[in-house]
Amino acid sequence: MSATETPPAVPAGHPDSWTVKVREAGVAALPPDKLLPDGQPTYVASWIYIFGVLSIAALIVLIGTGMILALKGPSWWHDASLGHFINSIHLWAVEIFFFVMVVHLWGKYWMAAWRGGRIRVWVTGAITFLIAIPCALTGYVSQQNFDAQWIATQAKDGLNAAGAGAFFNVTNFGQMYSYHILLLPVAVSALVAGHVLLVRRNGVVPPIEIADKLAAAGKPDAAAPAAGAGS
Amino acid sequence: MTGAAVAVMGAVFNLNHPAKVVHWHFFQMSVANILVIILMFIVFFAAILLPFPGAAARRTARGQGGAS
Repeated sequence: MSATETPPAVPAGHPDSWTVKVREAGVAALPPDKLLPDGQPTYVASWIYIFGVLSIAALIVLIGTGMILALKGPSWWHDASLGHFINSIHLWAVEIFFFVMVVHLWGKYWMAAWRGGRIRVWVTGAITFLIAIPCALTGYVSQQNFDAQWIATQAKDGLNAAGAGAFFNVTNFGQMYSYHILLLPVAVSALVAGHVLLVRRNGVVPPIEIADKLAAAGKPDAAAPAAGAGS
Repeated sequence: MTGAAVAVMGAVFNLNHPAKVVHWHFFQMSVANILVIILMFIVFFAAILLPFPGAAARRTARGQGGAS
């Protein structure tokens, strides 16, 4: 083919294809300018809005250090100096993760962040918090030391009393380790991804007084999708 | 690690004792956990009250409450 020859036309495609339908639904639900915006409303310039991204940063450190710990194993994280160091980073990332996630939760609760069709954003965040608790508990009982045994035996009584002991056995290291390094982290990561995509779709919730001003000006919650578009 | 290095790198607080616990009727919590919760309240109110760098200039440039 010479350099001046016109390339063949792109085929018209198959509008009935499931890939086309999924792509069009995805772009309609989350246009590129909403998925990766280049600006945020001025009210986002507040310290209370940074705790969500701090939670994600801590989660990334948690997953990274957790992968290293899973690769090296208990003897390494107990005996090697570097193992101690990575183990400590993993522990302190958990502490920071819960610290900033709870402050994020408080901020969003008092902001009534479910306003403007954002109920799914609130619910995915709340479920993430609830799933993160057993994710941490299974980590504490997977340490392979006396601390883990103490926590497991103390938790066993409570879980038995709640009726969960038959299928969630905190003294079973294999079961707890599987929960800790696979099932629960996958659930938390998927929920966080969904939560962030919903925030992108719905926009960051405005403070109540600004939402009132927008409503008075005939622009109720300009960041949220149009009525009827769902959330 | 030498003895001096261990002394320098050791915990800032002496942890070689059972945890101190506040116990009042049904309430029972370690002092460490209570301190963390107090710290969370301090950080929460500081995040609300402290000005964010550049926020005032941004509001002035775009108008109060305006979107980008």
